[in-house]
Amino acid sequence: MVLSGMNVVHAAELTMAEKGIASAKVILTGFVVVFAVLLLLILVIKLYSFLVGKAQGAGKKKKKDQTPPPKKTVTSVTSEPAPVSRTASAGDDIPEEVVAVIAAAVASMYGGSQKARIKSIRKAGGRSAWANAGVLDNTRPF
Amino acid sequence: MEILTGFLEAIRGIYESSGLVSLGWQNYVMIGISCFLLYLAIKKQYEPLLLLPIAFGMLLVNLYPEIMAAPHINLVEIPSANDPAAAGHVVQEIGGKIYYEDPTYGGLLYYLYQGVKLGIYPPLIFLGIGCMTDFGPLIANPKSLILGAAAQIGIFITFTGAVFLGFTEAEAGAIGIIGGADGPTAIYVTTKLAPHLLGSIAIAAYSYMALVPIIQPPIMKLLTTKKERGVVMEQLRPVSRLEKILFPIIVVILIAIFLPDAAPLVGMLMLGNLFKESGVVERIAKAAQNELMNIITIFLGTTVGATASGTNFLKLDTLKIIALGLIAFCMGTAFGVLFGKIMYKLTGGKINPLIGSAGVSAVPMAARVSQKVGQQENPGNFLLMHAMGPNVAGVIGSAVAAGVLLNVVG
Repeated sequence: MVLSGMNVVHAAELTMAEKGIASAKVILTGFVVVFAVLLLLILVIKLYSFLVGKAQGAGKKKKKDQTPPPKKTVTSVTSEPAPVSRTASAGDDIPEEVVAVIAAAVASMYGGSQKARIKSIRKAGGRSAWANAGVLDNTRPF
Repeated sequence: MEILTGFLEAIRGIYESSGLVSLGWQNYVMIGISCFLLYLAIKKQYEPLLLLPIAFGMLLVNLYPEIMAAPHINLVEIPSANDPAAAGHVVQEIGGKIYYEDPTYGGLLYYLYQGVKLGIYPPLIFLGIGCMTDFGPLIANPKSLILGAAAQIGIFITFTGAVFLGFTEAEAGAIGIIGGADGPTAIYVTTKLAPHLLGSIAIAAYSYMALVPIIQPPIMKLLTTKKERGVVMEQLRPVSRLEKILFPIIVVILIAIFLPDAAPLVGMLMLGNLFKESGVVERIAKAAQNELMNIITIFLGTTVGATASGTNFLKLDTLKIIALGLIAFCMGTAFGVLFGKIMYKLTGGKINPLIGSAGVSAVPMAARVSQKVGQQENPGNFLLMHAMGPNVAGVIGSAVAAGVLLNVVG
């Protein structure tokens, strides 16, 4: 992977063919080197992940289940005059504060001009505490 | 009467030294452009953290060009070396005559600009970025490095376009790097390859990064089918702390050995990341990603903007650079998505090609765009973390591409 340093040549002095050759050289070098370095990185990451995994004890191979859908399913229908009119049915065990928060979120998403009504609020499966910790760990910086 | 003429003289002196006399029409055009950029930064919030200082730097240098003036030395002739006028000055003899050196210092922004010119600020920004970057998604799914590499192809194709438009190889390299969608890398490469184009390249690079949410989605939608966009990806495996700590060390060793030209950028990025992941130097990690990075951003933005003086910026070349930059950006996005499609096919539909577009760096904006476009197809789909893999891979990829360009055409 030793690349020889080229002298800077003024493009205006080059013929079309020379320009073509110069560009092809850069495209080829760039393509090959960038991919080679990053492929090498992939191999190395895989290798050391494997080694770290092994060193830290077995039993890490369990596949996580797929990402569950978002916690709450909010169905909104545009009909009522009020920006957000709460007639939260069902979901008996959902505290009123939570309903208020969801209603506020819906209102802010739809804006004051559009009319939205929350018809039902249901709890979806939800993640386990560990899965939640994982999500937090991966998303906190953003 | 004498007082009145004295007064008029003084007024004329002030008038003659004012911008009304010394500024050319180019400066006024640039003042207009910088006000427009200020509007975009403040009202439209297009990358305001960078666009605002850049625009203000442009404004300043076109109002008062001396602010970027380099220092110079005047030689004043004196009768003898012991002349009192020479006290405290360096005295030299040229051709039998004795002179003392009377230095004129450079403008404020000239000195701050040295950090850009000498390639100091961009790696320091990378230090801060390293502190804020979580390479977890990349370690969990190393394949995303392929997408980070694919999105760099645009750089090299744009290089060709620039060469054929009459730019030198070095200039073409600096223009192509706009396609890396990484401001610090673009500035770093440009200062090494074509410093005279810095203003236009930096402004093109940052404008397109700000426009990522507008430029990318149409290309992404054009190149993918509805089915591909709806792919829900498997949740990433958790990454252990040890893996995260080893990652920056291993990456820097590999890249610095194989591609030393990329070492300043990648080295600082990985140092910052090790600050973060090691967990033992929380204080410096905080300083690097907050105070240091903010200070450098102010210096970098203002002085990069200050390179865009009217005579320097208002050229046909600038328009070509802006056009080529857009091509570079679109190509990067397109190749990322196309390689995403290849991976979709190879993995039997497990990879959503939309994450490919995040391979152009622009962290974390490009990843957010992948997430957004994916959600338009399937509101329950969360691609953000999957897109972060190619996104941070793109940062490494851009730095590697920069190393290649510096080596081949530098």
